[in-house]
Amino acid sequence: MKAKWWSAALTAAMVMGLMTGTAVTANAEEEVTLKVFSNLPDRKNGQGLVEQMIIDEYMAENPNVTIEVEALDEEAYKTKFKAYAMEGMPDVVNIWGQPSFLNEVLDAGVLAELNEADYADYKFIEGSLEGFKKDGKLYGLPRNTDVAVFYYNQKMFEDNGWSVPTTYDELLELGKTITEAGMVPVAMDGGDGWPMAVYLSDVLFKISGTDYQGIVADAVANGDFTNEACKQATQLLKDAADAGLFQVGYDSQDYGTAMNLFTNGQAAMFYMGSWEASMALNEDIPEEIRTNIRVFTMPVVEGGAASATDIAAWNGGGYGVSANSAVKEEAIKFLNYMYQPDKLSKYGWENGVGMSAQDQTDYMTGEETDLMKQIVDIVTNATNVSGTPVNDCGPSAFKTSIESEIQSVSNGTTDVDTFLANIGAACK
Amino acid sequence: MKKMYSNKLVITSLVLPGLLLFVFAILAPICLSVYYSLTDYSGMGAWNMIGLENYKTLAHDEAFFTALRNSLFLAIGFICIQHPLAIIVAAVLDKKGGRGESFFRCVYFIPNVISVAVIAYLWKFIYNPNFGLLNNILKLFGFEGNINWFSPDRAIWSVLIVLIWHGFGWGMLIYYSGIKNIDPTLYEAAAIDGANQRQTFLRVTLPLMKPVIQVNVTMAVISALKQMETVYLLTNGGPGNATQFTATYLYQQAFKAFKYGYGNAISVVFIIICLLATVFLNKIFEEREPKRRVQ
Amino acid sequence: MERVGKKKMSAGKIVLWIVLILVAVIQIFPLIWLVDFSLASSNEMFTSGLLIIPEKIQWGNYVKAFVDGNFLHYLKNSLLINGLAVVLVVLISIMAAFACLRMQWKLRGVVRTLLLMGMMIPIHATLLPNYKIYSTLHMTDTIWALLIPYVAFSLPQGLFLMTSFMDSVPVELEEAAVMDGCGIYRIIFQIITPMLKASIATVSIMTFLNNWNEFMMASTYLSSPKWKTLPFSVLEFTGQYSSNYAVQFAVMALTAAPAVIIYIVLNKHITKGVAMGAVKG
Repeated sequence: MKAKWWSAALTAAMVMGLMTGTAVTANAEEEVTLKVFSNLPDRKNGQGLVEQMIIDEYMAENPNVTIEVEALDEEAYKTKFKAYAMEGMPDVVNIWGQPSFLNEVLDAGVLAELNEADYADYKFIEGSLEGFKKDGKLYGLPRNTDVAVFYYNQKMFEDNGWSVPTTYDELLELGKTITEAGMVPVAMDGGDGWPMAVYLSDVLFKISGTDYQGIVADAVANGDFTNEACKQATQLLKDAADAGLFQVGYDSQDYGTAMNLFTNGQAAMFYMGSWEASMALNEDIPEEIRTNIRVFTMPVVEGGAASATDIAAWNGGGYGVSANSAVKEEAIKFLNYMYQPDKLSKYGWENGVGMSAQDQTDYMTGEETDLMKQIVDIVTNATNVSGTPVNDCGPSAFKTSIESEIQSVSNGTTDVDTFLANIGAACK
Repeated sequence: MKKMYSNKLVITSLVLPGLLLFVFAILAPICLSVYYSLTDYSGMGAWNMIGLENYKTLAHDEAFFTALRNSLFLAIGFICIQHPLAIIVAAVLDKKGGRGESFFRCVYFIPNVISVAVIAYLWKFIYNPNFGLLNNILKLFGFEGNINWFSPDRAIWSVLIVLIWHGFGWGMLIYYSGIKNIDPTLYEAAAIDGANQRQTFLRVTLPLMKPVIQVNVTMAVISALKQMETVYLLTNGGPGNATQFTATYLYQQAFKAFKYGYGNAISVVFIIICLLATVFLNKIFEEREPKRRVQ
Repeated sequence: MERVGKKKMSAGKIVLWIVLILVAVIQIFPLIWLVDFSLASSNEMFTSGLLIIPEKIQWGNYVKAFVDGNFLHYLKNSLLINGLAVVLVVLISIMAAFACLRMQWKLRGVVRTLLLMGMMIPIHATLLPNYKIYSTLHMTDTIWALLIPYVAFSLPQGLFLMTSFMDSVPVELEEAAVMDGCGIYRIIFQIITPMLKASIATVSIMTFLNNWNEFMMASTYLSSPKWKTLPFSVLEFTGQYSSNYAVQFAVMALTAAPAVIIYIVLNKHITKGVAMGAVKG
């Protein structure tokens, strides 16, 4: 409703502007500068491109508004975000609807409350707003539905006679076969810590099934991760690293390095979130690779409670508005503009950046990349979804700890029990 | 004349800019650091005074001690590897003299003027196990060449190598000018006494270079303690805490783990350690050469 | 006999040459590698050769780096901020050095020690509290947030060098000037300063090199591109072009270029300056 009202108002304003000449419009509307703080530094591909497209459109429609973007890599972004929390936020910011990020931020009161009723028509997927709420009040809107997947190079698999693994043991076996063939099995961004934490969560979910949320919540609350499921999951991660599933030096290589191994045909697989589905459209990636990218999800673990169609998925990233913004009204107006179903959601769809947190069925044209279709199938056929990854379920001291300790446990510097004890201690 | 030289107004006007800067940019932040180090401030919202709690935690914080050990490792690495190399190369360059001298000096110094951001990223690529320069060189010599240069036990060495490479030209240049300042007649005397090259180097050059070496050693220790930029971009302290340094650790604790108060406690201890290290080194050298020091 | 001696000499010379060339190769080869790969296309990089001959030289990498790396703007900021820092450090350190060395007042020893203390304080230890101060005073994202710490932390070294150089300027010169009726300021800026040319060069070079590399402060205190310095070309770019290695190499080469060119042009002076600083230091 509100969206329509805005666009009607906008049209009216524009028509008036045309009739009375531009000078009047300039005088009638105050010059506004909106600062957008984004975690998408690549403005020419994928999600960053989508964000920039909407910003450009908004500025074109509202000539009095200038939008300045500051964009940093995820890790740098989160660091700077906390620094900003001290002195005052930019107007519109990326946020994550996860306890590790949002709890402290909301306690400090730096985000503006949104009116949930305004978004009734925005087609948000049921439950996707929950992570952005506190005490029933809404503080942000989710952008994506994220799924943890193994991207793989289908052609490479076919040429070598490899098949998609259906059990965790098969995955490790496949890893050995690929290593013998002189290639990297799975490109892993281990330098950042969080992708491995997602991997750990993925395995834990395969082991514990629908108990996953309960196990994690208890462990964080009690500062005790020494239960069997966590032990087994950590051991399975370590087994994978020991078996050489990841590239040499995975624990010090960053996102771009890992991804480039895969996109340059050096690695057969790449473990990452579904947001990288836009690789299929990225022209920097050689065509014979980008058209052959497919996905599968974490194979089942023997004796685990989860089936093949239970997937690790969550609504993570999104946007919020600064509580102390001097131009809060304009900021919320822009936020709502972004979330009109035919903006973020539609453009995201057209640019193959994975699933949004809004219903996208209207935009399916049947011409999406095979990769996109596959991800949609995975999500629509999912029997259960995991929810927030482990590392994002606790306070940020816990997140910092697990993302550093997980490197040590996977490369064998510390053992599984020490790892679990250390991350437990960080919750207190 | 005397009156003019003790005019309070003039004196104040001359020292005030410097003093203001000192107070505003160094003293005030340190005081603020001390204050916040006594709180549980997360970086936003309200905070409580918690006394010395942060310091108590710090005393048992393994990562912090790893950081200190790494600084020590770096300092020893500088003193035992970089500086001897720099002195030897400086001596060789001086010995050779003539043609090419300034060319070599120039080439050795170039890495020094390149921004740390470039250096760190460049070496990340050089160390890359999949297409990095270093492994390709090893392959050229018949090694297998897929070494993980950032494995937990190797990472700190890899960092050290980058820093040595980056700072080599500076050290070399300083020793080189030190050698150039040595009175040539001393060499002639040594030659008359029948000393060979090695003896001359050990008995004449090195002893005369002592003051220069002392200053450089002090600088090396301090710069090892202060190390941040290169490590931050190269490994960000990882894998695990294998290459954690005090400065990277305090940054991580304050801005990532939401422990601003704790980060400030680390800052305060960090400053104390740097002061102690300087005083300690000055004391050692003062006994031998009281005249050199300033304070 | 004589012949053997000569041969031995030249063998020694050859060893010297080999050592020097080896070190030179180690120091410079990574940079040659950088430039080489920056002219290739991304998928040519996964080679086991040391250097590659690009199929087609990709000048486009540099165009992208130049435009999208915001190169000129950041270079201008870097030069401006570093230039201002140098001028301020030189000016303030000359004034303070004169006051502490020549003027007669009780506290001069204390003040000098205090100012020199800064040399031992690690700049990064003030990162957290300074952030708080600057944000309270609304100075983040302004040139001051960089200029103040840069000047403050280069000042002790500047003061130290200036004092030791000024010490060797004969007092008689000043006495003569006083006779002629010069005031203190004129003595400092018209009599003493010209005598300190060499040390001013040294202090300038040291200050410039110290701050040229700095980016921790810059990345914490700045948010808009307005005052961002050259290292940001690299930092921002690697995120922006994460899937294109060759362009990343190009931006690194481009970012390194200004300082290298400045160095090569001013090679003689810089060498002399550093050497003088070293001897005095």
